[in-house]
Amino acid sequence: MKKKIKRHSLVELIEHWSVAISGLILLFTGLGCLPLYKRYYLTEVVGFGWTANFYNVTLVHYLAAIVFVSAVFFHIFYHGFRGDKELLPKKGDIYKSVKVLAAMIGFGKEPPSDKYLPEQRIAYVGIGLVVLILTISGIVKVLKNLEWLVLSPLLESINTLIHTLFGFIFILSFFIHIVTVVFIRKNWPLLKSMFTGYIEEDYIKERHSLWYEKIKKEENN
Amino acid sequence: MYLTRRNFLALLSSAACSSLIIGSDAEAVAGKYATIIDITRCDGCKGEAIPRCVKACREYNKDRFPEPKKPIQPYWPRSTFEDWSDKRDLVDTLTPYNWIFVQKVNIDGKELNIPRRCMHCDNPPCVRQCPFGALTKQPEGNSVINDKLCFGGAKCRDVCPWQIPQRQAGVGIYLKILPKYAGGGVMYKCDLCKDKIRRGEEPACVIACKERLGEKAVFTFGERNRIFEIAQRKVKEEGLYLYGSSQNGGTSTLYLSNIPFEIIEKALEVNKERFKMAVNIENKIITTFNPIGKVLLLSGLLSLIGGIVGAIITKKREKGVLNEKKDKETQSC
Repeated sequence: MKKKIKRHSLVELIEHWSVAISGLILLFTGLGCLPLYKRYYLTEVVGFGWTANFYNVTLVHYLAAIVFVSAVFFHIFYHGFRGDKELLPKKGDIYKSVKVLAAMIGFGKEPPSDKYLPEQRIAYVGIGLVVLILTISGIVKVLKNLEWLVLSPLLESINTLIHTLFGFIFILSFFIHIVTVVFIRKNWPLLKSMFTGYIEEDYIKERHSLWYEKIKKEENN
Repeated sequence: MYLTRRNFLALLSSAACSSLIIGSDAEAVAGKYATIIDITRCDGCKGEAIPRCVKACREYNKDRFPEPKKPIQPYWPRSTFEDWSDKRDLVDTLTPYNWIFVQKVNIDGKELNIPRRCMHCDNPPCVRQCPFGALTKQPEGNSVINDKLCFGGAKCRDVCPWQIPQRQAGVGIYLKILPKYAGGGVMYKCDLCKDKIRRGEEPACVIACKERLGEKAVFTFGERNRIFEIAQRKVKEEGLYLYGSSQNGGTSTLYLSNIPFEIIEKALEVNKERFKMAVNIENKIITTFNPIGKVLLLSGLLSLIGGIVGAIITKKREKGVLNEKKDKETQSC
């Protein structure tokens, strides 16, 4: 049996999948909050009749938001206080990301990577920013509905528009994330590690050589 | 990039503060004004071609009525679209060209005339649920549609307990974005003559009614507290029934009638009227979503605390393992 190395802790796996699953539900119900499903006959598909009622869709959106917001807050404060920096961009990441993406489609050689690929670090900050804006504008909507926060009509409009527009950006980011993981064979071991927490040593040696060196150094110390 | 704990907290607090900027003309929760519509006094302007309130509304708002670009594309993949531009003269129902009408209903041989328009709810579902922020509640208590921002998805009509907003296709911002695939025009409804009431004047319908009936006018418009007091006094002293104070969590339009509204509701239902007056209307934002919203905020706060506690515990544990390793190494030396 090939030697495996731990890439994600149980906490990280729970964080990832709770954001992913609740995010998917939020994405679906968020789109359902736009008057689209009835127009496009989705409400007539067996099992989707409930989406015809905006109140049902909003209810599911609110319930999924409990999980999403909790996971986002936990993630920020847990890793913020731990001082985890592995997923934060480093100098030269943009250039290296282009090289990684080019290598993925067969052009040139991939540069050696740390625990995360440079494009993963940039994507993390990008998606993270979108998620943060969605979370804050969503919380403002909740506070406004509770009448705990009183906004001027203009600010109420701006906040609602921000939430909707960033919802579309979130859908796009989610889609790109899924495509790069599912359709690029080279990334499959990374997907597997998102379920098991472990990744094969040979894969790390080849693709994440900088991280491998660190692991070995730690072992030797 | 070096992220210290202090930097991290500073970043977070500034993000939180910037999200909580409160506008200078912040919306009063219930709104400044309210209206009484006393249907015991309304005869639908008998003998006149168009009721005065309707005529005044149409006249005052005529420059804001939609002028659709034709031919109008259907709402793909459907073959339908909502076009009222050839029915501009309709005065006995709500349309994008008619924001108030007098509904007639016969109860036990007695004809009731009920002026119908937006109720201007205290917690309006149309405002709260519009995904584009095209609807806002103004400090005066009226809810207003921004026709420059409205995509005409008609969600506001779907979530309105009275289905008040009306759609006109072939106008609005959707024509500039995805005219075939998303959006459907612009929604129109009474905004209580927003510019007039902001200036401290009365809405056009109220003025027109007063001109005809003087002190016996159907409409009484004014400061919310005073209007509610007058309505409550009339309920007590004249034995009238009240509608609008509790429906949908409260509105700023109070109907007074000498016939119970349960009977009016039934009569409108039997007649299969397009615009009904249900007595039991729950505001789901208040009864369902707000309690979940509180759970959401609480769970967010608990997760925040959990995150900090978790970080301290795991860091301590990791430090302990490291120290143990070092101790072992020292012993073996």
